[in-house]
Amino acid sequence: MTNETTPTAGHQAPAAAGHQHGPRMRWAKLAPEVYKAMIGLDAAAKKGLDATLVELVNIRASQLNKCAFCLHMHTSDARKAGESEERLALLAAWEEAVGFFTDRERAALALTEAITVLTDGFVPDAVYAQAEAAFEEAELAQLIALITTINAWNRFGVTTRLVPGQV
Amino acid sequence: MSHRMTFWSKVPAFYQAQLKLTMAAKKGLGDAVLAELVVLRASQLNKCAFCVDMHVTNLRAAGVEAQRIDLLPAWEEAGDLYSERERAALAFTEAVTVLTEGHVPDEVYERAAAQFDEAELAHLLAVIVAINNWNRVNVTVRQPPGAEL
Repeated sequence: MTNETTPTAGHQAPAAAGHQHGPRMRWAKLAPEVYKAMIGLDAAAKKGLDATLVELVNIRASQLNKCAFCLHMHTSDARKAGESEERLALLAAWEEAVGFFTDRERAALALTEAITVLTDGFVPDAVYAQAEAAFEEAELAQLIALITTINAWNRFGVTTRLVPGQV
Repeated sequence: MSHRMTFWSKVPAFYQAQLKLTMAAKKGLGDAVLAELVVLRASQLNKCAFCVDMHVTNLRAAGVEAQRIDLLPAWEEAGDLYSERERAALAFTEAVTVLTEGHVPDEVYERAAAQFDEAELAHLLAVIVAINNWNRVNVTVRQPPGAEL
């Protein structure tokens, strides 16, 4: 790491063989009604949820789905909302990071993982019950909506290979 | 396996946006049978009983042959039961849906890009994203097959 001060403009790593980068398509321009609906979905999903929790969930789902564009955006947003470097660094290992995340955050992160990795299983009763204990039903519905929505952004971002830091 | 929560009525603005997303995606793709095949395949991968039930019913109602519905989980081995356009869309659906296990490989993307123009491809992607949304919620809340949302 030699160029820490200009992380986006100064970092031009050579593209890996067979893995061309740069957006594959401008989906929001090609499907403006879809983009508008996504903005509506996003606003509806976040309603009433705490910004710190929203960013933790968005980052964790984006880590699992490996969306570079989304990680760049949500780690930046989390820092702006006052998130600590320590918690950002430990988020990928939250289960082992005892004392760094509240029970409520841990319940939300476990639910995020179960809902995101859906093709590998269901949402286990223990995970759902833990979330139900930490969130009242209306909040839990919002949280499920939030997790669903970041998964949707992740799918657009990864599939079209959005470039981190570029609009 | 009881219903965990009546979700959609608790988040009416989210429900409306999800309906708009789904309609805009399908309208832009402009091929109702292809859209139903894609959403059924995604629902199979995500194991959403409510969604599988709905989209099998829709395909039957659209007059799609039983064999094309029944063999969908094995579409790659099903000879010419599906057109190359359908096969390209199904491969794309699987890659976009099983995202935690990989990316969307260049060969899958290019196969789809050879069959769909850019605007169609953007809307095909939106159809896949939208059904993944329905799948995530309905699996999480254990929406019973055939029940009202």
